[in-house]
Amino acid sequence: MKHKLILSIALALVLQGSLQAGGPWAKGKGKTYIKLSEWWTVFDAHYNDIGLLDPNVTTGIYNTSLYAEIGLSNKFTATFNGALFSRNFMNNIRSGTTNDILIQGEALNSLGDIDIGLKYTFNQEARIPVALSVVLGLPTGIAGGGTQGNLQTGDGEFNQIVQLDFGSGFKVGNSDAYFAGYVGINNRTQGFSEEFRYGLEYGVGLANSKLWLTGKLTAVESFKNGDTGSSVTSTSIFANNSEFLALGLEANYYVTKTVGISAGFASAVRGEIIAAAPSYSVGVFLDIK
Amino acid sequence: MKNFIFFSTLLFILFTGCIEDDFIEDFVEPEISITNAIDTLGLDTEYQFDTRFLNNIGQQESVEVVWESSDPTVISITQSGLATAHSAGTVIISVNTVDLSISDAIEVTVGEETVEVEEPASITGSIVTTTFYDLEGTFTLSETDTGLFLDIADDYVTTSALPGFYVYLSNNRNSISGAFEIGEVTVFRGAHSYEIDGVSLNDYNFIVYYCKPFNVKVGEAVLN
Repeated sequence: MKHKLILSIALALVLQGSLQAGGPWAKGKGKTYIKLSEWWTVFDAHYNDIGLLDPNVTTGIYNTSLYAEIGLSNKFTATFNGALFSRNFMNNIRSGTTNDILIQGEALNSLGDIDIGLKYTFNQEARIPVALSVVLGLPTGIAGGGTQGNLQTGDGEFNQIVQLDFGSGFKVGNSDAYFAGYVGINNRTQGFSEEFRYGLEYGVGLANSKLWLTGKLTAVESFKNGDTGSSVTSTSIFANNSEFLALGLEANYYVTKTVGISAGFASAVRGEIIAAAPSYSVGVFLDIK
Repeated sequence: MKNFIFFSTLLFILFTGCIEDDFIEDFVEPEISITNAIDTLGLDTEYQFDTRFLNNIGQQESVEVVWESSDPTVISITQSGLATAHSAGTVIISVNTVDLSISDAIEVTVGEETVEVEEPASITGSIVTTTFYDLEGTFTLSETDTGLFLDIADDYVTTSALPGFYVYLSNNRNSISGAFEIGEVTVFRGAHSYEIDGVSLNDYNFIVYYCKPFNVKVGEAVLN
């Protein structure tokens, strides 16, 4: 069996993807939203298989990602979320006694995985719009780089996600605000565990809606039906059967009517087989309304 | 659009992760040992002593040594460790490193024939986790005519979640640098065995369980 997912990429792809969720609203025909962002996390500990913290060699992953929503009609919205450049590295292990390098650090740079999706909004004008999305996660990254096969810019498996989004816009004082949520199922190949995903998001627009502050909760619950070391005689089964609950904050500021900048922060507060460190993102977006 | 391109380019340039260093505490007290000790040396016979020196990270290294006999009229010894018995009596044979003043010593009596010190044929102990991953059990490391065997007992249990999970023999409990790789962990519960070639019972001081992809020790057992 091929090398499989390690924990860094699990957080990188799942969490990053979740933070890009666009709610139930259709973009609208001819309208486009594009965000180019840098997402990264560096961690020297992880949540183990029973949710406790254990150390690991300092590992980093940096993704330069493009997220896009393209309005195909007043009900259909196409989505793209891909790491155009992904870098995964591990530090050198150096002797504290002799200062010699005992295990050489390594890095892997390549195209990362790409998600493409199609969202159908049932009732755009309703008080609580609902949308159904189908997302295909394409394994365009590298799943087993480096001498140990432990570096990766993709998970090496094909995700098929069906997701139900809902949300509502409203006023808080004079400010625009919204909440949104989703539930979804991720069917995975290559012996990986299926997943139940859910998330909640609350956002408020300040300064005449030029600045949007958003709080996010993102979770993945594993069905625990993936391969493990006991079921497959391979050296690299990992981040299989992983799950987490993460909290995040994001700020988006419109510099002009169509161009803006964003910054975000997220961290898993509970997890199994998942990195235990904050992740950060900064980006620029183009919102053609 | 110009702003968008400018900020996009800036993002790409500014954020690139670099490989840095993680340090491990791998200091161990250097030690020298006489590896083929004897109780008795036959009168008018010779015996070649051997030594093993482990440096401050537990790796075997050649060093210059000084051999001494407490009474050269009973047993004399050359600087290459060749001992000769001349008369009845008991002496202390010692070996010292020239630079580090580290030594080992044994008591040797001159008798009718040379008698080697009888070493135990096996070592038993417990494997313990050094993380929050499950790993525990008892073991026997034994040397037979057919080789060295690590027999893990029925009370052994460990996690199946780790990738690249290997077991080593090492002289440094915190490092696998210079260690002997026994093999991959493929049994996660219950009794099993490893056959180990090219290693003697007393060559190593620790069993180390190690996760290669994360470069982290998971558990250990002490062999002495």
